[in-house]
Amino acid sequence: MRARRLWAVMALLSGLAAGGMASGQTGQTSPATGTGPLTVLSWGGAYERAQRRALFAPFTEATGIPVAVARYDGGLAALRRAVAERDVPWDLIDMTRSEAMAACEAGLLEPLPAGLAAPAPDGTPAERDFVDGAFGDCSLTHSVFATVVAYRTDAFPGRRPTEIADLFDQRRFPGPRALQRTPSVNLEWALLSYGVPREALYRLLSTRRGLSLAFARLAGLEDLRWWETGSTPVELLLDGEVTMASGYNGRFFDAMAHRDAPIAILWDGQVQEHEVWAIPRHAQHAEAARRFIRFATASERQAALTRHIPYGPSRHSAMQGVTTHADSGIDMRLHLPTHPLNAGGAVIKDDAWYARTRERIGELFRAALLGETGND
Amino acid sequence: MTLPNTGNVAGRGARGVLRFLGLVALGGLTGGLAALAAVGFVGAVVWLNDLLLVSPRGRMMFAHPEWLAMATVLVPTLGGLIVGQLHRAIPEGRPHTPADAIAAVQTRRGRLPPRAGALSALSGLVSLGAGASVGQYGPLVHMGASLGSAGARLLRLGRSEDNITIACGVAAAIATAFNAPLAGIVFAHEVVLRHYALRAFAPVAAAALVGHVIAAEALDRGALFHVEQLAIPRPWEFGVFLVIGGLGALVAGGYMQAILGVGRLARRLPLAAPLRPALAGAGLGVTALWVPDILGMGQETLRFATIAGAFGSVELAVVMGLKLAATALCLGMGFGGGVFSPALVIGTLFGALCGTLVGLTGGAQDTFVFYAICGMVAVTAPVIGAPLTSLLIVFELTGSYALTTAALASVTLASPIAAQLFGRSLFDIQLLARGLDLSSGRGRAVLEDARLGDLLSQEGVTLRPETTVAAAIHALSQAGHGEAYRVDADGRYRGSLTLADLEVMREQDRGDAPIADCPATPRPVLGPEASVWVAMRQLQDMTGEAIAVVDEDDTFHGVVYESSIARAFLRYGDELRKEEHGAG
Repeated sequence: MRARRLWAVMALLSGLAAGGMASGQTGQTSPATGTGPLTVLSWGGAYERAQRRALFAPFTEATGIPVAVARYDGGLAALRRAVAERDVPWDLIDMTRSEAMAACEAGLLEPLPAGLAAPAPDGTPAERDFVDGAFGDCSLTHSVFATVVAYRTDAFPGRRPTEIADLFDQRRFPGPRALQRTPSVNLEWALLSYGVPREALYRLLSTRRGLSLAFARLAGLEDLRWWETGSTPVELLLDGEVTMASGYNGRFFDAMAHRDAPIAILWDGQVQEHEVWAIPRHAQHAEAARRFIRFATASERQAALTRHIPYGPSRHSAMQGVTTHADSGIDMRLHLPTHPLNAGGAVIKDDAWYARTRERIGELFRAALLGETGND
Repeated sequence: MTLPNTGNVAGRGARGVLRFLGLVALGGLTGGLAALAAVGFVGAVVWLNDLLLVSPRGRMMFAHPEWLAMATVLVPTLGGLIVGQLHRAIPEGRPHTPADAIAAVQTRRGRLPPRAGALSALSGLVSLGAGASVGQYGPLVHMGASLGSAGARLLRLGRSEDNITIACGVAAAIATAFNAPLAGIVFAHEVVLRHYALRAFAPVAAAALVGHVIAAEALDRGALFHVEQLAIPRPWEFGVFLVIGGLGALVAGGYMQAILGVGRLARRLPLAAPLRPALAGAGLGVTALWVPDILGMGQETLRFATIAGAFGSVELAVVMGLKLAATALCLGMGFGGGVFSPALVIGTLFGALCGTLVGLTGGAQDTFVFYAICGMVAVTAPVIGAPLTSLLIVFELTGSYALTTAALASVTLASPIAAQLFGRSLFDIQLLARGLDLSSGRGRAVLEDARLGDLLSQEGVTLRPETTVAAAIHALSQAGHGEAYRVDADGRYRGSLTLADLEVMREQDRGDAPIADCPATPRPVLGPEASVWVAMRQLQDMTGEAIAVVDEDDTFHGVVYESSIARAFLRYGDELRKEEHGAG
């Protein structure tokens, strides 16, 4: 019954889908299977390469459904527009949990059915195998990534930054900095540098006083570059344009492993965030997308992904299956943000807080630091 | 030479050890219950604060400014209305506080009323949940004490055990709420028991340990004032810390006087007592529209006050004054809740102010947090009358020896100065106002609380005033007493006569005269509600067999013999000694 309806929908929409696909998207074209490709919105670069090898290609192999990838840099504006016009060119979005929560509340995402995730290989039900908070109304956490600070190992002879406050200490650790052009992570680090405990961060950031302290710290940085695309901070570090930069831990690892970059990660203050799968409302291949989510969140696939990029699997059973880097043989466990050696000073991003406040905080952030006023 | 009966002693010892171990186990159990209650209470307050838009996090996550402003005024007002109704169901018409637990232990009365305890906890929960500027540790302590007392009553244990289980509940509440077991133990001894008997120590320690374990498991949150690695203060700064202590005592005094003063003013308001908290809530809410820092417990404000530069010096003084006024308003007008958390905030703001002023005159800012902590201790220690506990809280929460020694410098002057000027603690001042003077220690408190009622004897010789002297002498001789009490037909007391007085009359040949004519020996009398303490005082100034007990209408109730007063005095003394110095 369900399958028949799916086929009917597929047949009806395949033409539309092909039309939507064509506009400005990278990704592979589909072989003629009649179902049209599953279009995934993801983050590009090393991350997308890892997903292709560990998830997309095996999925196509297993189901015959090809996967096309479109480029995503976060934010909900495009999704909001597409859903309003009922012309949604994507079937699946790889997004942060806080944005998924906001999008779900705004009705931009399809609710996910219970029982979507497969049980662990040893039969442990999925509910007990996933990390806390993995199951959202419209999203399922597939990995835990971290935004970290990386620094050039040759920039500070004789000393190394050991705590997040060093990011703001340009006397001891001189040189330009690069930070993401968003309030999240920056505000946390700025307040941490005052010696605020991690547990109190979001309570304090909820006050005018806390925000102005954080803005003051950020405004005090000299030679600050703002980046927007995940690959930029890696390039800025490699080119020597900055000595410290924030970025996604996987990208920095990729640069270290594949390009022998003279950089190291400062794990203190790492901000951990859930990365989730979500299906946009009016997606054309929703059923195939659900099938993909079940496939990609299986323990074996999660462990396979960590052979290419060090993002922490969201399943305990997958965590046990983490081995070495597929290309270089590096032990990946030590590079996961969730490894106990790295997680000592980790901040767990308060997604619910961001889901409710991102627009107001964003406005304040832009007004205070970028000299802008106005909307998204 | 007599040999001790070793077998007997061993038997008693083994039984004693078992009994003692049972008490320790009961202490642990009490601690567990009190800790769980504390965890539930703290969690419920956080939940309510987020839900009712009191906590900064809840307020920030709420996007509609107009509704937020309305909630800011309405929530404390309605909260006050509910609290007022709750208090109507408590006999005293006010929430019970740690002062009631202290009084129960200091007078050895024990047996905290469970219904009033539950209502007081609920009142504290509603007050805190609705954002009243009150503390959470007071309700937690009283809740722990009530649970402990209920346990002792359930097991039909004696008053001594009741006192110890009260202390266990208190220790566990503090150990859980601060995640500071040592502070919990010392608080129970320093503030509630006011002795350090080994017999009490072990159960109290067990309770605090269980509380600590539960806190570590259940309350997954950071230290209240976790402090990063620190600069070491320069030697002259310790002098400043001493001065902060002295000035902090004055701030503490002002804080206590403000709470009591508002309470006195509130009683003169032409507004029914159950409606007063609502008025305070409305005032608080309107002020919070401009200064939201004064809402609730103020943990965020506390944290910011330890950061150099988070406040300007004028701002510090303004927020400190407003927080003090808001707390006095809330507590004085009858919200439920404690005095400790607001004192922490006020003290830290005060310390930060001192630190900022020192910074302005050229002092370094790297030791700013020392000033904040010194101010905090200088204000909180006098308010709760617990210098050692305050020091231990600093030590356990910061893990910093340097900070603890700085706090020691500050508390050295703060506690004695405040005790001289105002009283040992706010609790003691409140109890004194209710007629219980703890300034002379527990021995006096117990005797003041012990009533003469059960010492009253009807064996005294009572004579009608119209009885003749001869008949009176005869009656006294028959009864074997040397004193008689004139009581008229309406049962009213008309003075005491001694056998000597009557003999004088007879020798003057006035044996037929009515004893009404006999000059009475001036003798003190006691009211039926008089305490053993008062009776003992009266005995100092008289010689005689007994004191007449007479009520306000001169109705004669009987007599209390000197010997029974002395026996009671010794018995209460023995019980106290046994409780405070016994090992098991």
